[in-house]
Amino acid sequence: MNVAAAARAGAAEASAAAPLVVEGLTTSIRIDRRWFDAVRDVSFAVQQRETLALVGESGCGKSLTALSVMGLLPAGVGRISAGRITVDGVDMTAASEASAQAMRGDRIGMIFQEPMTSLNPVLTVGFQIAESLIEHHGMSGRQARQRALELMELVRIPAAAQRIDAYAHQFSGGMRQRVMIAIALACAPKVLIADEPTTALDVTIQAQVLALLADLQQREGLAVLLITHNLGVVASVADRVIVMYGGDVVESADVDAFFARPTHPYSEALLAAMPRVDRSAAALAPIPGQVPTLPELPAGCRFQSRCPLRVDRCAERPPLMALAGSPGHSVRCWVRAP
Amino acid sequence: MTETATGAALLEVRGLSKTFSEKRGWPVPKTVAVRALDGVSFDVARGEALGIVGESGCGKSTVARACLRLITPDAGSVRFDGIDVAAASASALRTLRQRLQIVFQDPASALDPRQRIADALGESIKVHGIARGKAVMDSVLRLLDEVGLPPSAARRFPHEFSGGQRQRIGIARALALGPDLVFADEPVSALDVSVQAQILVLLDELRHRRRLAFVFISHDLGVVRHFCQRVAVMYLGRVVEEGPVPAIFEEPLHPYTRLLKASSPIPDPSRAVALDLQEGEPPSPVDPPSGCHFHPRCPYVMAQCKTVAPALQEVAPRRRVACHLFPAPAT
Repeated sequence: MNVAAAARAGAAEASAAAPLVVEGLTTSIRIDRRWFDAVRDVSFAVQQRETLALVGESGCGKSLTALSVMGLLPAGVGRISAGRITVDGVDMTAASEASAQAMRGDRIGMIFQEPMTSLNPVLTVGFQIAESLIEHHGMSGRQARQRALELMELVRIPAAAQRIDAYAHQFSGGMRQRVMIAIALACAPKVLIADEPTTALDVTIQAQVLALLADLQQREGLAVLLITHNLGVVASVADRVIVMYGGDVVESADVDAFFARPTHPYSEALLAAMPRVDRSAAALAPIPGQVPTLPELPAGCRFQSRCPLRVDRCAERPPLMALAGSPGHSVRCWVRAP
Repeated sequence: MTETATGAALLEVRGLSKTFSEKRGWPVPKTVAVRALDGVSFDVARGEALGIVGESGCGKSTVARACLRLITPDAGSVRFDGIDVAAASASALRTLRQRLQIVFQDPASALDPRQRIADALGESIKVHGIARGKAVMDSVLRLLDEVGLPPSAARRFPHEFSGGQRQRIGIARALALGPDLVFADEPVSALDVSVQAQILVLLDELRHRRRLAFVFISHDLGVVRHFCQRVAVMYLGRVVEEGPVPAIFEEPLHPYTRLLKASSPIPDPSRAVALDLQEGEPPSPVDPPSGCHFHPRCPYVMAQCKTVAPALQEVAPRRRVACHLFPAPAT
């Protein structure tokens, strides 16, 4: 544990000025009156203009990590049981609900997978973009509408002036996601949390939305936390990557180092299980079994029940250990990073 | 490996067209025509998997429904093993449906939540008279084993299974009547990567063992490249390119196929997707562009593309493309 603690302290020091810092986050959720740690001791920092991707399959804790950062855990079902989240210098975990509310939408912008469920069907998109400007920045209706129009142009919605009074259902999926991005960026946030932002979109539209996000990120200096299951998207847009499994960070690395040398057996297995458009039909290697549910997760290494490299020591939880010869690359595995 | 060597196709689709009319708009709805299929033709050989790829609204799911006669096409023909599906009588259709099955993206929505798996699988076996009495349960257990589920699954209900296991049940149900051809409509799209690979491996085993043919509908080019031998690319109701998987993925000819391939993310940072800053929305099937439907987005657009729809023609052995850039070689 010493190695991990030292690494964490080092990371925290180096990233004192980072717009988003998460230290030792543990999030628990309640199932049948018992609390289970669905996110265990997760630490990372996201710098200005940097994209950190949290990757993993359903139930790995990536979305819960995002909800924790946003302070949107459902009360009574989810809670942060340890750790600290700092957004733009403000400790979110110590903040009252009122000040957390003031941070959301102002200094943290959020976009989700399915824009239709996040947009209000009976309000015009222009009003929904302007709303947070009136709420957080005290703009007048007219000022906010003017700014909403600029934002619609910023996210490249064609004929924005004619469509500002249109409703969400009158937009295609890609255009709706652009509206969501405009809402998220309205108050010029420091941090953007994007939870599967392109998963519901067609690939050619996905490419457009990813390009738009990358462009806006550079212009606005955003720190982006990208939640995704798609390793192809990670390779295209992320600077750093964290792979999660069963609530644990199992691997953390710069994106080039990760794809050059995926080291945790789970990371390796994920890549081998992914059919690729650029390669002819090599045999796919499925990962045996299912992702265990929270109550079923083994103590020790979470992946041991599906791991081909399992040894006795895996019953004990490995720390996140630095990988020799690959700076900034750490792995939670007794076999691969002894 | 050469599954198509037999010549005669198992499924022969010619000139399939379907227009839906839909009421849109408020407060006064207007009736609009949605051209879902516009002269779609393809063949599927026994034991072969044909991938149909394309984005939302391209008509790929409508193809499956029209072939199964779940909807009636406006024009065109579907022949299965020489039998005209559209003209089949009620009793002939009943036999046909044993041989033509479908697997959906979300098997949970296709299973009765209050029916045990044994009953869900046994029902069609009994209805179609495949087995009776005790033999029904034997068939159910054989099917479960074939799709990699334990015998204990028979007594359980759909909600007790994970997404991947439910898809195995959906596949078992499609196999129950011993089909020759399975339409698989986005069968792995809702699954996690690790489970998706398990299902793809299972489907490939079934294809070999039972010599099953597949029409595999997907938006994921990686999955199609892995599973299929041939592929048809659709854009707004039309097939724009069709041919063997290795050739099309190595060297896509139609500009839309090239865009699709370039947009598909690859897990390799040195070969990031072509991030596309071009503006604009994809055209909708309600009001498709004139001529070649792809012309407003095409980097190689020429004058004739705006007025004349290119025909799908053979440009190399077994490769067909609908694009003015590739005129058929003179014979």
